Amino acid sequence: MGFFTDSLLSAFYLVGNLDQELITIVLVSLTVSFFSTLISGLFGIPLGFLISFNTFKGKRLLITCLNTLLALPTVVIGLFVYVFISRRGIFGLFDLLYTQNAIIIGQVILILPVVITFTISAITQIDGRYRKTAMTLGANQFQTGILIFREARYGILAAIIAAFGRVISEVGISMMLGGNARGFTRTITTAMALEYDKGEFTLAIALGIVLIGLSFSINLLFHFFQGRGGK
Amino acid sequence: MSLYRFKNVSQIAGNNKILDIEDLEIREGKIYALLGPNGAGKTTLLNLLGFLEKPTTGNITFMGNPVKFSEKHLQQLRRNVVMVNQRPILFTTSVYKNMEFGLKIRQVRPVKRRQIIEENLALVGLSHLINAPAHKLSGGETQRIVLARALALSPKIILCDEPTSSVDLESQQTITRLLKEINVKQHITIILTSHNQPEVNMLAHYSFFIDRGKISTAGYENLFSAVIFSESGKKTCAIDKQIRIDIKADTTGPCRVTLNPDEISIVSESESKKNKITGTVLQVMIQESDKIQILINCGIHLIIKIPVEQYQRIKPMVGDKICLFIKPQAVHIL
Repeated sequence: MGFFTDSLLSAFYLVGNLDQELITIVLVSLTVSFFSTLISGLFGIPLGFLISFNTFKGKRLLITCLNTLLALPTVVIGLFVYVFISRRGIFGLFDLLYTQNAIIIGQVILILPVVITFTISAITQIDGRYRKTAMTLGANQFQTGILIFREARYGILAAIIAAFGRVISEVGISMMLGGNARGFTRTITTAMALEYDKGEFTLAIALGIVLIGLSFSINLLFHFFQGRGGK
Repeated sequence: MSLYRFKNVSQIAGNNKILDIEDLEIREGKIYALLGPNGAGKTTLLNLLGFLEKPTTGNITFMGNPVKFSEKHLQQLRRNVVMVNQRPILFTTSVYKNMEFGLKIRQVRPVKRRQIIEENLALVGLSHLINAPAHKLSGGETQRIVLARALALSPKIILCDEPTSSVDLESQQTITRLLKEINVKQHITIILTSHNQPEVNMLAHYSFFIDRGKISTAGYENLFSAVIFSESGKKTCAIDKQIRIDIKADTTGPCRVTLNPDEISIVSESESKKNKITGTVLQVMIQESDKIQILINCGIHLIIKIPVEQYQRIKPMVGDKICLFIKPQAVHIL
């Protein structure tokens, strides 16, 4: 018990004193998660919008496939991306392996289905009467689309927050594609795994506190925006 | 002037013929009511009138020009028509922004927009709600704002899908009064669907009855489920187990019938006639034409139209018991 309380107190001390190593790790985590979420949002939101707003053959099958991709294990993504970006892979010449860009690529693959499916869900939940009303007020397809997008804004924001929450806490991709290089690709989760292996719990617990804090804030935001959407 | 002309228009979904109209004309500046049971095809017809759907077959002309069912052309036509839904939608923003939506699309200048919005909010008596969050308004306020939003666009036609079905009595009266005013002062053609016969009687110049996608000749307000059966060589139409009318018909069995209010007359109790029923006067209304419309409860709610002279002679008052004679030709089988 003394070991646990000592580690916990030391961890709080690290967090309270803004330990340089801890800050670096958190910043790396936030940077890769931010960019992967940004890229996923830039592609995922329009894609989700197009899928939900239009009727086409195979739409249901496509949505089923996207839903299946939600359960894709991070290690599988890590493995596949590794095959492509390792020196022997077709993108080997870009020297991406064990860089933050490699982590971002993997994380984008992980959360793109999250953003798309959540966007589809947010758009689908918008009452069909909005579309009809916009059309009868003289709006064209594009203007109707903008209106629907506006009405679904809280749901779409919730999609982005959920995606960020997914990447900030993943470990498989960061470990396999980032390589856990100190100061460069060491994220909160990979650092925690390493510290655990070393038997050094202080930094691991401090990082755990930060991660829980981040997850809690993300969830608060998620529920806030979901609540706004439901009003 | 003729606004719409439907020729052999049908709307089919799967194997189901939702709408089947041989000929329908709607003229400018009038109020039309579409009556009929749920699922009769009223909303589908409104969607066609609002250029929101393409018919499966047939031709539609609008203001003398054939309607081309390309999205571009339909979008242009939609600018003449605004639909007010049964459960209307206001966007989750302010009342002002809601009303501004259609005006912005029509590229009306901001100063002019504000002026139009203020004028139309004043018309529906809700000027004080200009900056209110639209999605937090009551049902009656929402319906009136939706009407103001429609009016702000100066449409030729307003389509109302059961405009008073989801609001309280006070709002019902306000909306009915507004629709009448809009029609008289701004000469906007109004086409509304309704189940509310008194409302229709008060508002509409013409009524259409739709049942199973088919429109009956305009002018008949009394639509009922009936059974036609043969009795000692004669055909009898039974409505709601209480009314028996001898008719000339080729068919038997369950059907829908309309009773032409012009073919039902008030007779004295002493007159011995077939097809005679008694009822209590519920409402007396003055029509714009030279007829008086009377709503009578005779087991079913029946509307009759009598000439002003006959009304002045008999003077039926609300609550009076009267005898009615239904001519066989009053019954039209749908």
